[in-house]
Amino acid sequence: MKLNRVFPFVMLVVLLAGILAGCGPASTSEAENPPAATDAPEEAAPTEAAVAPVGGTLVIAMNLDDVVTLDPAYAGETTNLFIHINTYDTLVDIRPDDLNTIVPRLAESWEVNSDFTEFIFHLRKDAKFASGNPVTAADVVFSWNRLLNVAGAPAFNLDGVGKVEAVDDYTVKVSTAVGDDGAAQPLPQFLSSACNPSLGIQDSKLVMEHGGTDAADAATTDKAKEWLDQNSAGSGPFILTRWSPKADIELVANKNYWKGAPNFDKVVITHVSDPTTQLQMLEKGDADMIGNLQTDLVDQAKANPDLTISVDQSLDENYLAMTYACPDDIKAADPAKFAELQSPDSFAILCKKEVRQAVAYAIDYEGIAKAVLNGYATRAPSIIPIGIIGVDPSKTQGRDVAKAKELLAAAGYPDGVTFDLYYASNATRDTVAAKIKNDLAEAGITLNLKPLEQSVYLTQMRAQQLPMAFGGWTPDYLDVTMWTDYFGLGDRSIAFRMWFQNEEANKLATEIRTTADPAARKTAVEKLQAVFIEEMPFTMLYQTQYVHAFSKDLQGFQFHPVWFVDLFGLSK
Amino acid sequence: MSLIQNLIRRLLLMIPMAIGITLLLFVVTHIVPVNPLAVILTERSMDDPEAIRAATEKWGLDKPLPEQYLIYLKNLLQGDLGTSFKTKNPVALDLKNFLPATIELSICSFIFAVLFGLPLGIIAAYKAGSFADQVTRVVSLLGASMPPFWSGLLILFVFYYKLDWAPGPGRINSRIGAPESVTGLFVFDSLLKGNMPAFWSSLSHLILPSIILGWFTLALISRITRSSMLEVLSQDYIRTARAKGLAEKWVILSHALRNALIPLVTLVGLAFAGLMSGAIMTETIFSWPGIGRYAVESAANLDYPAITGATLLIAVIYMLVNIFVDMLYTIIDPRIREG
Repeated sequence: MKLNRVFPFVMLVVLLAGILAGCGPASTSEAENPPAATDAPEEAAPTEAAVAPVGGTLVIAMNLDDVVTLDPAYAGETTNLFIHINTYDTLVDIRPDDLNTIVPRLAESWEVNSDFTEFIFHLRKDAKFASGNPVTAADVVFSWNRLLNVAGAPAFNLDGVGKVEAVDDYTVKVSTAVGDDGAAQPLPQFLSSACNPSLGIQDSKLVMEHGGTDAADAATTDKAKEWLDQNSAGSGPFILTRWSPKADIELVANKNYWKGAPNFDKVVITHVSDPTTQLQMLEKGDADMIGNLQTDLVDQAKANPDLTISVDQSLDENYLAMTYACPDDIKAADPAKFAELQSPDSFAILCKKEVRQAVAYAIDYEGIAKAVLNGYATRAPSIIPIGIIGVDPSKTQGRDVAKAKELLAAAGYPDGVTFDLYYASNATRDTVAAKIKNDLAEAGITLNLKPLEQSVYLTQMRAQQLPMAFGGWTPDYLDVTMWTDYFGLGDRSIAFRMWFQNEEANKLATEIRTTADPAARKTAVEKLQAVFIEEMPFTMLYQTQYVHAFSKDLQGFQFHPVWFVDLFGLSK
Repeated sequence: MSLIQNLIRRLLLMIPMAIGITLLLFVVTHIVPVNPLAVILTERSMDDPEAIRAATEKWGLDKPLPEQYLIYLKNLLQGDLGTSFKTKNPVALDLKNFLPATIELSICSFIFAVLFGLPLGIIAAYKAGSFADQVTRVVSLLGASMPPFWSGLLILFVFYYKLDWAPGPGRINSRIGAPESVTGLFVFDSLLKGNMPAFWSSLSHLILPSIILGWFTLALISRITRSSMLEVLSQDYIRTARAKGLAEKWVILSHALRNALIPLVTLVGLAFAGLMSGAIMTETIFSWPGIGRYAVESAANLDYPAITGATLLIAVIYMLVNIFVDMLYTIIDPRIREG
């Protein structure tokens, strides 16, 4: 009888001990031992004690899901740009306070010939790699040739580059590739491209020591990736010392940095995918800074007096693209492509200019920005974002349902019309698509939503099969050609995929990429913007603003639209 | 047949099974009508026919499917699982990187589940219909029905954010940093190196994710234990044991439990293998760099070599656990050994 009472009681004690200690007790004897129950509360003490003497560690909690490699010759995602700009130096730089001006970094000066076919960089002579080796022209040649020849994801940054050569120890000459006409092709965006963190300069000696090569067959013979995933070989303010995929990235200060030692000894960027948890870590002091603060958490963050909130304009945009070609023309030009079109009926409707304009007028852009970003967004008049030369925000057209109905009637659909919208499904896009469907319904348009798996969507869009698509665009470099080339030139990227072959747009986009004179470029961008507004192959849905939150004692935060933040400028 | 002979036979049988799995995987992944080049190449290089041709050739996508499969099989026999489209790393290396975190978490969750599931089941059976029985029923129900993406966030909010009883997500405090890697198991490695701050930090970081991941298994174990015990407790030999004056403790722990354990062993074995592969939500919430997320992301990216590699690994774990369970049977139940 006695056991009847004791047995459950013992079990209950075990249960309670276990709940407190979690899986701490690895064996039963420990579990029944009362001290085990204090495991959890006690662990905080040794943790904090161990932290104190280290000092100078900056912890950033952000989503690192996209990091698949940290070798600058292979990495083509977004977060790697942030890591690379802080571990490698580029020749030239674009500072957040003026996105249209290029300033020196490893190159103290440069010369560009009038037709953008030759670029000469003069390197500063006092720069050294973290290894102690001097930064020379040979390193630039090695880094860029390795990038080109490995032919990984970021190699496109050197598209159009023909030859990189060292004129002397501190002078580098870049000549552009020769086109079909036998002449060197102009590459006006090259200086902007050279600011891309992927074009950071690698210590050729160190990389070669670890199996790296810049030879023509580097794609198969270069063996440095495994080492460069875990280490950096740059001259930047920090040195990569460890990367644990899906866990964290550890950087230590380069004490010999040519601009001076950074303010933090160590930076740990830890992977946390849930935005709420990121904020909790920031509030608890487990992180000093987090990635983007989700906009529905901004109020909670603002209410905390220990945090600083910064709202920053990005150049990331979401757009709705509509086909420019009618099925008959496609059939005439390429019967095979015609046979593969998704929703040919939608193609026939959307290839009418008035329908595209009607769609643009029917969308409640402010409502979308509110729905998905709590209003933390802006919108440019065309696909070229605010902040870029030649963009005039006053030209932005908002919602006008009556006008949309008028345009539809003019297109021959006074009683409404039905077509399909394709997109790669995720929570945000599902919300936006549903909102667009509702908005268009008010103008008499029935929009069928066709959500797809990301890979299916990309495959079909790239094959020019979609009549209407919803996508995003993030710049890799800050020259206006990042938008005018890919949305304006009929054989490039998004313009190609949506059949946007417009003579005037082609002419203007070509002029932009071949003109040196900033005033002439600005005029051409203004004109191209007008073509975009008139033809409406793409309508910008919103241009994201990012909200950043960090601890009050962190100083010097300056958001960069390409690589997030320069750690060198941060201090505590 | 002796135990050893049986073991060897079972291990050898795994080879054709593994090959069968690769074949199945190969067929299934290649049925999906999308272009894997979309993963291999970047957005902009998809416009370049030269880049497309080079990549198609490099990754062997131009070869007929049977040939691709034979190449894969040949490499597999040499221990080469191929190179991931996405990470451009050997798949074996990726798996090696992600496996330790998964092993650490599954073992802990498993210990948690067994340690509490078993006693809860015994109590529930012994006091069937009582208040204690109802409590264990509720605990099990919660475990079986709460989705980890919700319960995980909730437990973090309460025990990390509000009460500060347990640390936040991740495997270790970022300011301490990972211990020097020997096995990749943080708790073990830090102990090996005598790095006590890292030991306590990594151990405490296991608490919340283990509870969340192990809860479902706990529910399973406690319910099966209960029904199994109830059945055994009504048997004649239990009455006999009581009648001959044995202490109740021995009746329960020795006579009843041992027999009730038999159906549990299979279940527990499979549950353990399940913990190894099914932790995707828990891994996401707790920023745990495990194999579950690697597998799911590979599938989303249509990263053929990674999908096949990860699935194969999980399948092999299942098979090994199965063999282990069968071996365990012969130890618990001598009748099986004889038969």
